[in-house]
Amino acid sequence: MANLQVHRFPQNHYIDSLRWLPQLSAFQHHIILASFNPESSTSSLQILNTSNQELTFQSSLTIPSRITSLKTSQNPNKPLIVASTFSGSLLLYTADLVNGSLEYLDSVPEKEGFHLGRVNGIDVSENGSEFVSVGEDGRINLVSFVGGGLSYKRVFDSNGLVSYGAVKWASPVEFVSGGLGFGLQWWDQRRPGGPVSQFKANWTHGTTSGIVHSIDIHPSRKHTCLAGGSSGTVFAWDLRWQQQPIMLSGVGIIDLSALSPSESDVWEVQYDNYTTSSNYRNISESRVLPAMICSEDGILAVIEQGEEPVELLAEPCAINSFDIDRQNPSDIVCSLEWESIAILTRS
Amino acid sequence: MPGLTSESDDLAMVPVSPDSQTQPVVIYPLRHGLKSQINRLSISWACGNTLRVSVFPKPPQFDTADGSGDGEAGGGRVVEVKLSNSGDDKEVDAARWRRIAYGSVTPFALLQSRKHSLSAASRMSLDNPPYKAEWWEHVIEYSKEISSLLSDRKPPPRSIIEDPKLVVNEIAEPMCLKAAWELLEIFYVDKQSQSWIPERLLDWLADNNSLFSGTLPTIHSKLVDFQQELGGVQVVEEDPNYWEAMSSALAVGWLETVVKLLRLHGSYRFDQLASRETENGLVEAVAVLIYKMPRMRPSLREENLGECYKTKPDFLKAWEKWRAQISKLDCSSYWFQCDHQQTREGLKILIQIMLGNPSILSNATFNWMELFISHFLYVRPFTAGLESMHNLAKKCMQSKPVSSPHKLFGLILGILGENTEVVLAECSRSFGPWMMAHAVELLTAGSAHAEILLHEEHSKLGGVSIEELHRLVYAQVLSSHALTWQIAPIYLTSCIKQGIGLLENLLYKQPVQHSQILLKSVEICRLYELDTISSNIMRIAGVHHWKHGRKGSGVFWLQQAQDEFRLNRIAKQLFDFMGKSVSDEGFKQWEGLIELLGSESRTAGGLEFLNKYRDFRRSLLQVNGDTPTDAARNAAEALVSLMKNPSTPQRFWLPLLYDSLKLLNWQERLLLNVSQTQLLLNKLQELSMARLRPDFVEADLPSDALSSVRLALATNLGRAILEE
Repeated sequence: MANLQVHRFPQNHYIDSLRWLPQLSAFQHHIILASFNPESSTSSLQILNTSNQELTFQSSLTIPSRITSLKTSQNPNKPLIVASTFSGSLLLYTADLVNGSLEYLDSVPEKEGFHLGRVNGIDVSENGSEFVSVGEDGRINLVSFVGGGLSYKRVFDSNGLVSYGAVKWASPVEFVSGGLGFGLQWWDQRRPGGPVSQFKANWTHGTTSGIVHSIDIHPSRKHTCLAGGSSGTVFAWDLRWQQQPIMLSGVGIIDLSALSPSESDVWEVQYDNYTTSSNYRNISESRVLPAMICSEDGILAVIEQGEEPVELLAEPCAINSFDIDRQNPSDIVCSLEWESIAILTRS
Repeated sequence: MPGLTSESDDLAMVPVSPDSQTQPVVIYPLRHGLKSQINRLSISWACGNTLRVSVFPKPPQFDTADGSGDGEAGGGRVVEVKLSNSGDDKEVDAARWRRIAYGSVTPFALLQSRKHSLSAASRMSLDNPPYKAEWWEHVIEYSKEISSLLSDRKPPPRSIIEDPKLVVNEIAEPMCLKAAWELLEIFYVDKQSQSWIPERLLDWLADNNSLFSGTLPTIHSKLVDFQQELGGVQVVEEDPNYWEAMSSALAVGWLETVVKLLRLHGSYRFDQLASRETENGLVEAVAVLIYKMPRMRPSLREENLGECYKTKPDFLKAWEKWRAQISKLDCSSYWFQCDHQQTREGLKILIQIMLGNPSILSNATFNWMELFISHFLYVRPFTAGLESMHNLAKKCMQSKPVSSPHKLFGLILGILGENTEVVLAECSRSFGPWMMAHAVELLTAGSAHAEILLHEEHSKLGGVSIEELHRLVYAQVLSSHALTWQIAPIYLTSCIKQGIGLLENLLYKQPVQHSQILLKSVEICRLYELDTISSNIMRIAGVHHWKHGRKGSGVFWLQQAQDEFRLNRIAKQLFDFMGKSVSDEGFKQWEGLIELLGSESRTAGGLEFLNKYRDFRRSLLQVNGDTPTDAARNAAEALVSLMKNPSTPQRFWLPLLYDSLKLLNWQERLLLNVSQTQLLLNKLQELSMARLRPDFVEADLPSDALSSVRLALATNLGRAILEE
């Protein structure tokens, strides 16, 4: 990386997840943070403001349960913040960026047959009004935000025979879920009753397998799904060549171990538009676009098919989550296990 | 148990610490919500600092046969009480403590790994000179890093326009913990500064003097008081506090403060310069002498005054010259021309301090530590060696006894007295487990006696050394908190004797139901190559998920743990759960699980059947009236292999055969040969025998299922025999 500025900000609580909020002006940028305080066993959502390499606290709301996944919609004025919880509920908030305040909108409570136990993953559709949630109970629900309230419908229930770990929209009617055994499932709402396509890793030899922790799909290549999980594994699954995943990183894979930036769980993957913005068209259709990962062994890195990974951070503790700003992909924010935030600026 | 006789709703727990006189008793109310009288309490440790209290009501009275039980008959409640450790230390709050704990991990781990590689290189011990020197370097680096960690609060930016009346410059707020660490560093680690320990102590006191202000009179508090007064004073030189503040500051070597105050003297003012020329000359002469004070140290800190000398002879020469200049000024005739009495007397006192007048030094200082420093500066600048320092300290303490000694004083006396036990006891009592675990490195590096003491294994400590004991204790503290338990392994693995055992305990205690913690534990096992523990944890997780209905996760983790035995066990349960659904629509749900099981490569135990069954089902689904015979043949092959397979549960035999009726009755041609048909008939026979057993579970099929299968098989056999 030509030039990288890193600023670390210690917090007094564990950070479960964090995201950039849409940028309001060139000088002000907000972060939404889901935190957990073990002393008081309370969880909260916080809005922080970053400007001039300083991070200031703006507002906070106590929330009923710990957050497992946090996503935002990109409406610039009043972005929606949707969070899934340990207890099996889904919470919806909106942020007022001018005042830096948070407002509760609605929630789908647990105990209504929504999810039993942890909701492991959620995603917000492009238009910002539909959410898909997957849980360890093996349920998949679609939640719609219409007329100021939330309503949900069950898409699938495996009755615990399968647990899902992550989910990502591919199109307004399709999404991909992932979970145990490096498995991925492609769902199409037009063909209900089960996944339309399934993928199961077969590169793992011996007895170990892994879990998919995070999925990303690039809007320009909706047929390809990027997944990251255990043992530093990152791979792309192209619907058009279903049986041959494109391996990007992982310790269990021959020829790839040397190129793998991490040996332990990859907690989050996101396509990295920063490196591609200049030579975007030069990347051939068959190549996987560059992606950023963060890992349990403290690595934040950009990986590209067949190339040496570019390490942005190597921390002594885990990097639990990160987010690349959509409007300004040079800005990255990530949360460190040891109760702090790092903000990175590439130039 | 006393205190349990009350019939109130809520009990309170009252932990009483041994020194409850100094620490207030903390009360944790228990909201257990039981209405009936409490009969029994059971208390155990839950995770971390949490106590699990099980509250049992009186057993229901059986003679009240009217069934008036209030719905909780016999049922107790379990409440968890989180014990806060806020009572520990007010200086550092919990979040700051954790930050220190996180920050010290890397330096500690680095030092340990360096110790390993060095001792491997030197084969035996670190005492060989080249290695010893290298080891010193590492310990110094370690010490500096830890020290910087303790002062991570950035000092407020110094204002560019200096306030001439700002006497006390409050830089970063000092911390006892850091002050103690610095003391250890000065005396045990920093060998290069051995020759200028007095000057380092002076710097140390300048940084940390305010720490003592709470309990003792100090020069710092005196200066702070004077600073407040200064704003309202017009003619400072007439204020006795002005002269007292300066003599105190000079006594402990805060030269820049003294010079700054001297420059506030009225004779410097333009309107008075002419009339007070001599007086001003004297003030300036003293200021210049202070400027030129020789100091035996390699360099000065920013802002500090004086002239540095690196070697003893150079310093001695300069020192004598300087003293001669002071004496000369003391005897000067200009004093008689100075009309201002306070100035004359005040300056004379400053001169006496610089000349090392013991009674004046004693008047100018407020506690023995300050007196001790002033003696270093002006009376015995060549004091070296801990013994002579210790003697001097004892003398100073006699002339300025303290009623309630500060915890840092105890530490200093232990260090000066070369008494490792006292140093350890003071560190432990005042600064707690973190200090003990990390400071041991400094002590063992700096003193042979301490090294022997700390590394010797004690049978009454269970065979561990004191060094290991303190690491274990610190690891326990870390383990007791949800956010720090994951750094405890770093300390535990540095404990040769008992570390791994405790690490196992720690890992087994983590709640497996929380997947993040489970993955963390597995990761820790991977890092330290604890494969057995890893499998055990995964097995526990698998059983937990299984019990809670998350069958997929259960199977996954049992597979990861390679626990064939349990996989076979759960296979039986799984088939029970499957029941009839093996042949109905609900099979869609099973597809995901079967995917997960994978094919040959991994342990599937008895679940292997599912995989084969799925293949059979797929081929069977493709078969209908107008399918080409090949597809039907494949389905028949799958059926035979399924029935041959010993892992296929008996209870599925009949449903499988019943599902395959259309294959048995295939019109176009025969799909099963004689031996295959006989195999199936044998299975059917076996099944009929099994039906006689009492534990046989009848498949939920039409009543004529058995007979229609039997008929189909018989017909098939007949056809096959004819054909062959």
